[in-house]
Amino acid sequence: MEQLVKFNTALIKRYDVAGPRYTSYPTAVQFMEGFDAETYRRYTTASNNELIPKPLSLYVHLPFCHSLCYYCGCMKKVTRHEEQASRYLELLAREIELQGRLFDHDREVVQLHFGGGTPTYHDDAQLHSLVAELGRHFSLSEDESREFSIEVDPRTVGGERLAHLAAIGFNRISLGVQDIDPKVQAAVNRIQDPEATLAMVAESRRLGFNSVSIDLIYGLPLQTVESFARTIDTVVAARPDRLAVYNYAHLPHIFRAQRMIDAKDIPSPETKLKLMELTIDKLTAHGYVYIGMDHFALPNDELTIAQREGGLQRNFQGYSTRRECDLVGLGVSAIGKVGDCYAQNLKDIPSYESAVAEGRLPIWRGISLTTEDRLRRSVIESIMCHGEVRFERIEANFAIDFHDHFALELSQMKQLEADGLIVMGNDGFNVTPEGRLLLRAIAMLFDEHLQSSQSQPKFSRVI
Amino acid sequence: MESSLRVANIRDYRREPSRAQVACSRCALGELCLPRGLTPDETERFEQIVHRSRPIQPGEHLFRAGDEFRSVASVRTGCFKSYVIDHEGQEQVLGFHLPGEIIGLDAIHSCRHVANVIALDTSAVCGLTFDTVSGMARHMPELQSELFRVMSQRISELETIAGDLSADERIAMFLLSLSDRFSRRGYSEKEFILAMSRRDIASYLRLATETVSRVLARFQKAGVVKVDRKQVRILDMDELKTVARKNQD
Repeated sequence: MEQLVKFNTALIKRYDVAGPRYTSYPTAVQFMEGFDAETYRRYTTASNNELIPKPLSLYVHLPFCHSLCYYCGCMKKVTRHEEQASRYLELLAREIELQGRLFDHDREVVQLHFGGGTPTYHDDAQLHSLVAELGRHFSLSEDESREFSIEVDPRTVGGERLAHLAAIGFNRISLGVQDIDPKVQAAVNRIQDPEATLAMVAESRRLGFNSVSIDLIYGLPLQTVESFARTIDTVVAARPDRLAVYNYAHLPHIFRAQRMIDAKDIPSPETKLKLMELTIDKLTAHGYVYIGMDHFALPNDELTIAQREGGLQRNFQGYSTRRECDLVGLGVSAIGKVGDCYAQNLKDIPSYESAVAEGRLPIWRGISLTTEDRLRRSVIESIMCHGEVRFERIEANFAIDFHDHFALELSQMKQLEADGLIVMGNDGFNVTPEGRLLLRAIAMLFDEHLQSSQSQPKFSRVI
Repeated sequence: MESSLRVANIRDYRREPSRAQVACSRCALGELCLPRGLTPDETERFEQIVHRSRPIQPGEHLFRAGDEFRSVASVRTGCFKSYVIDHEGQEQVLGFHLPGEIIGLDAIHSCRHVANVIALDTSAVCGLTFDTVSGMARHMPELQSELFRVMSQRISELETIAGDLSADERIAMFLLSLSDRFSRRGYSEKEFILAMSRRDIASYLRLATETVSRVLARFQKAGVVKVDRKQVRILDMDELKTVARKNQD
């Protein structure tokens, strides 16, 4: 179903609570260190033993950056010492071998994503041998429907490098732009020429990339409604297939880099609301469809089609069209999802490297999902991806009576219904166009783990 | 690798005295096991030679190839796999054993077990000292013909597998065989969870592992079955029978 979105300032203000983004459920906060490599192996074995094992999706984390972007909340390492990066790649290759042994080789890799950090910190030869290493230990799909994507920092990549990335096998790229205003760029320490960046969209198309995505951020220091309007207009003119417009969450007590940002330069909550409204208005006016959370796509993009046809799913990069994959996380801090578990690698480079050097899987923590977790994940994913929950489908999959099982949640939803976030029916509920900007506030009602973790504000706010 | 696994010793239930005795007449498996067609008196005599095992955990062996043959076992609950290791060190699966089925008859001629038998699920068996069974069979024609029936069924199962069949036919026949065996035990004939892995199925059916998944995926796409992890739901029994019968007409 094509979904509408409507901006309602009063409602957004009322429901502006800190909450998870539900790229997984349970969220990473719930992962436990008792979940070790042995536990993970049990899940990988079981996943091979399924009658029709799922295809694989690989996420490869490449944490290195040449310089620090002050807004960054990712796991990264800023260094000019390239031997550090080379050593990391060597050990990453070891992990690829260790992980590759765990999966049967008739399981094709249909999705691959290089994220960072800055994957293009590494040169073409390094990236090429990394993909070759993956090909040695996993069966990379040769089908053109495969989705092999890489996050590209336009400051490190010219036209020639793009051609190399295509030759290595990537068919999707996502370009980090954030903002094109020189003052904003200076305030976040990320200076790049907008014209060169946007020329890359056309160049990517010419080189045969199937999909080009651009990342922007609103709420950055010195942004104004006028400046951000220019950013959006300029970016939209290049017509990327997808746009991710993230809300900058200023959490300097968690992300050290953000202490470089002068708090007084950050737009006020009022301005941030206007920036959000502007983003929605402009992008929808330019024909982009609001997928949910931070994501927009053209009407003929696979993401939009998948949402229309009910086949969308949430993943760590946002949304994905691939429902039935086991996800293998490779590299420091990477998260995988195999069968009914999530597993995360060690999050600092030295301990990751020493684990792998000793031939151990570098699992740090994870979680085994209970049936209740799977049930709630299914409800939350339905809210986040499709803006609706059909009771019958959940009941059939989990052998429950929705009204009985979720009596408490349904009574709590009366307030959301009164406020116009959802419309409740006998056989399910739908998120309203106003509610679509508050998906996580709705999803949070079904999060059983939230009560226990709510005391510490580890999550960013909706706005 | 086998040495790390605990072995469920078949003698365990011989040592358990007859207080753990089994009432075959009241067993949920009814007539699936041996005592088919016995008179109440014969059944009672039969019960005296049956011993029930403690639970056997997944990965535990019931018999090992080369073990001296003393007893046969009838599966009460769970599922077992019998296999041999070929000269290249590869495991070759010979069969799967569901409740009510007799394991160990391969050892009669050489007095040693030919196959390894391992539990795939938490299982339990009834043990029968073979000397006693065969001695009794001499005086109980019904028991004797039942023994022949069980052995003959097993031979024909193995001959079918050895035949010249396509992958589709093998898998269709395998699913139908399970459906039949489950339904005779009072379970659904259309929906069951398989204790064995696709690797085991492939080995048993003499197919490549990926072929098992590919064929199942094709059956699923055609709406013949619905597969979820290790669960199979047969949606179109007639079509499955048509596929299985192709080679037999």
